[in-house]
Amino acid sequence: MFSDIEIGVFIDELEEKLQVIDENLLILEREPANQKVLQEIFRAAHTIKGSAGIMGYEKMASLTHEIESLFDKIRENEVQVDSEMINVLFDALDALNTLKGEVTGEKVDINIDEVLANLKAYLGAASSAPTSPPLTPPAAPPAASDPAQHQWQPLDDVLETVIREAEVKGFVAYQILVQLDAGTQMKSVRAFLIFETLEQMGEIIRSSPAAEELQEGNFDLSFELIILSKEDADQVHNTLMTIAEVSDVQVQLVTTLQSAPEQAETAATTASPAKASDSGPPPVKTVKTVRVDVQKLDNLMNLVGELVIDRTRLNRFAEIFESKYGSDDLAESINEISNHLGQVTGDLQEEIMKARMLPIAQIFNRFPRMVRDTAQKMGKEIDFIVEGKETELDRNVIEVIGDPLIHLIRNSIDHGIESPADREKQGKPRAGKLLLKASYHESHIVITIADDGKGIDPNIIRQKAVDNGLYDYDTAARLSEREVLDLIFAAGFSTAKEVSDLSGRGVGMDVVRTAIEQINGMVEMESKVGQGTTITIRLPLTLAIIRSLMVTLGDQVYALPLANVQETLRIDADEIRQIGTSEAIVVRERILPLLRLSEHFGMGSSQADKLFVVIVASVEKRVAVVVDNLLGEQEIVIKSLGEYLGDIPVLSGATILGDGRVALIIDSRGITQEAGIIDEG
Amino acid sequence: MVKTANDEMQAVVFQLNEQTYGIDINSVLEIIRMEEITEIPRTPDFIEGVINLRGSVVAVLDLRKRFGLPAREITAHSRIIIVQVGDITFGMIVDAVQEVLRIAKDIIEPAPAMVNGVDAAYIHGIALQAERLIILLNQSRILYQHETDQLANLNVS
Repeated sequence: MFSDIEIGVFIDELEEKLQVIDENLLILEREPANQKVLQEIFRAAHTIKGSAGIMGYEKMASLTHEIESLFDKIRENEVQVDSEMINVLFDALDALNTLKGEVTGEKVDINIDEVLANLKAYLGAASSAPTSPPLTPPAAPPAASDPAQHQWQPLDDVLETVIREAEVKGFVAYQILVQLDAGTQMKSVRAFLIFETLEQMGEIIRSSPAAEELQEGNFDLSFELIILSKEDADQVHNTLMTIAEVSDVQVQLVTTLQSAPEQAETAATTASPAKASDSGPPPVKTVKTVRVDVQKLDNLMNLVGELVIDRTRLNRFAEIFESKYGSDDLAESINEISNHLGQVTGDLQEEIMKARMLPIAQIFNRFPRMVRDTAQKMGKEIDFIVEGKETELDRNVIEVIGDPLIHLIRNSIDHGIESPADREKQGKPRAGKLLLKASYHESHIVITIADDGKGIDPNIIRQKAVDNGLYDYDTAARLSEREVLDLIFAAGFSTAKEVSDLSGRGVGMDVVRTAIEQINGMVEMESKVGQGTTITIRLPLTLAIIRSLMVTLGDQVYALPLANVQETLRIDADEIRQIGTSEAIVVRERILPLLRLSEHFGMGSSQADKLFVVIVASVEKRVAVVVDNLLGEQEIVIKSLGEYLGDIPVLSGATILGDGRVALIIDSRGITQEAGIIDEG
Repeated sequence: MVKTANDEMQAVVFQLNEQTYGIDINSVLEIIRMEEITEIPRTPDFIEGVINLRGSVVAVLDLRKRFGLPAREITAHSRIIIVQVGDITFGMIVDAVQEVLRIAKDIIEPAPAMVNGVDAAYIHGIALQAERLIILLNQSRILYQHETDQLANLNVS
């Protein structure tokens, strides 16, 4: 049996390769002759076949074997790529994704005969080349199996320069080919050991495949390295051979002088100043990575949270110290220490936050295929553009954001973009443009989904709102365009004329909004009839630490997440209007419901003449919240109130203040909703 | 007869409304002095609020209110017993903590329906030891009974 770690490595590899196939199939559909794409798919299929064969997943191995054979034929120009073939290949890919369940231990019940037959049909169409039986363990690639004929990877200019500079300092560059035993099971561990060993003798300046790939085990049985060392070739060779499961090592001196003698000379002269500086390994480094359990990062983040609390405490202490002893030396020292600690904690917090971040590509990568399938199903042509895949955000945010995005993208294809015929009639290109983009904006991530479809007619929505009994005709007519678009996010509101398989069942947009608001995000929609719709989602970079406005009610401190605070006002008690049983104030000609938080929380009422008001906005509503006092802004670490207390609708958690007291965090969404209830009641 | 560990339990014994109560020591994490409690709106009356227990936010309930006993001022003897039941950690305010006692299991009697005004649902049993009557609490009931209470309240309103 294979250990959990080995299976984990296999699954990682599998997912990565399936993603490669997925991406490249989409490109292949547009560029059937792209050799690079053919090569990528061939290689990915080959890798999966090999690992699946070793691990004993027969269906997976035989499927990838057929894919591999087919791409071999395509490369040889024996078979032509057509759209039907792409569909078959996608089917095969889906089957592989399902078969992945076998590895994770799910019960998989899938018949791959049809897919296999479809694939074989293409193979049959070509000349009957011999097909090897699917279950043979993968042969090592030919280059590796015959080391004598190994084709070394060529050097590029940058590398040559580096080597020449190193030669000046007395280093020698070696190309090393490491060959592992055919039965090696923990390839990544071996690769790691080899790296460790070599780094004691010199510096690795190139690795092929790349170091990360090697550490993930994504290579056949051999790999190539270039190192700079002062040891001689035999020494390097013998040391490597002592590592278990290394079956063969070839070490070859790299000479740059022969390849470009003139260049070498100039390089040597330009490099000579470096001689004067302290000699050491040259500056080019391979990227080093380690895998870390997410739990460990979470723990680190919690510890940083504690530090943030202590930093705030120390700050307060420094202030007290200063006010007591003035510009005393000690007071100044404490201030200095406090400032420095603040800076270091800030940096630490940022670094750990970064370590927890994942590129949004994790979810964005799923979409091209989904868009293709959806478009095909709906009979639409879509030009799908993805930007900002590399944008990183907290993994917790990534987990939540996937489903809402799926929904929004499907909506755009289903309701937004017109059929090719309709588009042509309007003088638009047949293919609709759909843009999915992620970018940083201050301390937020902004995800934009924009289409150039038919847009949303506010009057249809107004009509719908009247039909649904949400508003009477006059009120609906008075709603601003923005308010109208906001209605789409209300529960049970769908504008699709027909209920389709994909969307338009009247659930969805409210679910989207709820999911996004749960992670302190905001969603907004803009639309122009005939020109398209743009949906903007603003998300926090992290969920653990937020900036808040601190307020008091009675003798207790509460935190209001700054993301939802629009402004703070000081009003006179006589500015409050009575509307029915509830109170409201007018801010810039808008009537906002007034919520006296102390009373609302059952903590008694105050009769002050001057009131502090915080305008709290959740996407749906705005409400003026009366608090006793404003304390200022602060960064707070969100802590759960614990399972025992469960969900309290108006609170989203608690935080610990600089003085050790607990402050409750007000849930802006809950508050605005409750204000709404009061309105209606 | 030699008593083995299986034949007896250790209980943290505390005072509440002039009565002696005990709670299984295995569920007690620690006993702390009273500290500032942050009130939480919209929670049942017996939930006093939350405290900062070395960086964690822990809910605290008032055992007198929980049992429907008359309220009393907090004194210098008042303590918070931090209890863990399953994954849940909570504190309960008691009048005073006295000692840790070993109680032979065979002297623990089932509780009558009502003991000194406390519902038997909260009680694991009663032990008479050294002339003292000790009411042994069922710690998970203290916690979970409130949910049933709340549900009952919801149905009424």
